[in-house]
Amino acid sequence: MAKKVIIVDDSKAVVAMAELALVEMIGSGMIEFKAYLNPLVLLEALQNESENFDLLISDINMPELNGLELIKAIKSNSKYKTKPVIILTTESSNEIKTAGKEIGVTGWMVKPFSDEKFVKSIKMVLGV
Amino acid sequence: MDNLRLLIVDDVEDNRLVLKAICRKLENFEIKEATNGLEAVEITQNWHPDIVLMDIMMPVMDGYEASKVIKKLHPEIVVIAVTAVIDPNMQKNMSEIGVDIYITKPIDKELILFKIQSIGSSMLLKQGEGKLLSKKDALNPFNSDIRSFKIIFDITDTESMMDFGMYLFDQYNARDVVACSKLDPIIELFYMLMRQGTRNAQRLSIIIEESYDELYITIKFENAIILEQKIVEIVEKFKSDFIIKENVLCARLKRHFEEKKSDESKIENKTEIKSETKPEIKTVVSKQEAVKSKDAKEVRAVASEEKVLLRQSFTKKTSSVDYVSDLGGDILDEILDLASFDEEWREKLSTFEEEPTDENLIDFADRVLGAYSHTISTLFEFTALAYALSSLGVFLKDRASLVVEDSAKTKTLIMLLENLGYDLVSWRKHIFELQDTQDIHYLDSSFFSSCMQIEGIMSNKEIDVDDDNEMEFF
Repeated sequence: MAKKVIIVDDSKAVVAMAELALVEMIGSGMIEFKAYLNPLVLLEALQNESENFDLLISDINMPELNGLELIKAIKSNSKYKTKPVIILTTESSNEIKTAGKEIGVTGWMVKPFSDEKFVKSIKMVLGV
Repeated sequence: MDNLRLLIVDDVEDNRLVLKAICRKLENFEIKEATNGLEAVEITQNWHPDIVLMDIMMPVMDGYEASKVIKKLHPEIVVIAVTAVIDPNMQKNMSEIGVDIYITKPIDKELILFKIQSIGSSMLLKQGEGKLLSKKDALNPFNSDIRSFKIIFDITDTESMMDFGMYLFDQYNARDVVACSKLDPIIELFYMLMRQGTRNAQRLSIIIEESYDELYITIKFENAIILEQKIVEIVEKFKSDFIIKENVLCARLKRHFEEKKSDESKIENKTEIKSETKPEIKTVVSKQEAVKSKDAKEVRAVASEEKVLLRQSFTKKTSSVDYVSDLGGDILDEILDLASFDEEWREKLSTFEEEPTDENLIDFADRVLGAYSHTISTLFEFTALAYALSSLGVFLKDRASLVVEDSAKTKTLIMLLENLGYDLVSWRKHIFELQDTQDIHYLDSSFFSSCMQIEGIMSNKEIDVDDDNEMEFF
């Protein structure tokens, strides 16, 4: 069954480039891809269980809610506690990475990203 | 050097005599007289003055009619109206025909000399004759024709460094964004010099002087400096345009618009630039390839200035409400006016989609990306956004013909540019209209990164910023 990958990023350009990178995986039915531009909308959908994911790719700096806050809130629900979360951001300081690690983030990738490495990492996390 | 020509037009002989006596004190001027408007027009046709002192009330043909004819035939001639009263109606009419400078009676001798000599000097400067005007010692030895105005930057911290960066960037932008092959390494060089200064807690000032076609940048450190190796290497590249002496570094930069004198010279210049830059780019790429020979993909070198913008993080978050409340009303209006660009963004993009020619892509880059980046560059806080838009514009213009050759690539580009446009609309809404974000910099580096990534996709190059773009697993 297709694994569900959700990306949350306020930038449509980033979402578009992620989709472009994943186009083969989506086309082959390996993954189902869905994007949220507003983290609050995603949070609400997850909380009322109208949404679900196998992998979440999240930005950090978003106007409505910081990505780390979002992940903290999502992970407080036991249903998502062990689900993999990848950060896709331009932030790369050790302080913020440590903060991510502490709230249970799986991996960290900095933008601009290479398509190949992005796909490779996602396959690795999903185990496909 | 040819003298400038001054024509004095007045029907009253006494007035002409007075004006002539005053104007004889002008340097580098030849003087002729006319007794009415018609005669003035005739003399203009044969003798072609640079400046005309025009009395308004005259028989045969009055000063207004004569000025109208002269400005129509020779718009480059500066007409100065000589009058007792400046009536607002007359002022409006005169302004419409291109006359905006006045000498009022009774005559102030010094003021007349000042006005005419300043206009004359600016004319001579434009003709490249400025050197004859200045008698002072030059601060920056590349010039001797610098006037007594300077812009001074006191560099003490990152913020003041940004101010200077913004100034340079503005200079670059104001010239219709003619791609300057050397701008990037120059920005990098100044950045490194400033950084070296601030790191060693040295006071450092940057003095800018401008001539018609060049900028002179003098960097003065408090004490003598030993330049870092990397800086020395870059300076070497621009040898003839840099002088370093103890604690002073003098640079000379060409301004861009001289490249636009005529279409022919523009083409010549462009080819020159291309042949100059090509080997530079090759070296960068081949170096990168040597390091990462296992990777088949070429790598786009990322300048350190870009890295700073891309990885800048703001520890102190500013909310949009605080930011906008501190912003001047004019700037806010300009930003809100950017809404009109949304439509232009879509229009130009769909023109390009319907007709994917390089002209249409260049038009999009110039009219949309260029204009957007110019407005954003007036906001100190958003240098990264302005830089991102402007460098994407330059990239697209340079590569336009290559991009349009590949229809799949063109399609991808259109899709990405559409999304990029959406990001800017949403940025403007969050920060300036709704003012609902706690962090005004939420988009900056991400947007910059997207622009770079688009460049990468379009040129089949990987963007390697920190040599660590592998995923880091925890």
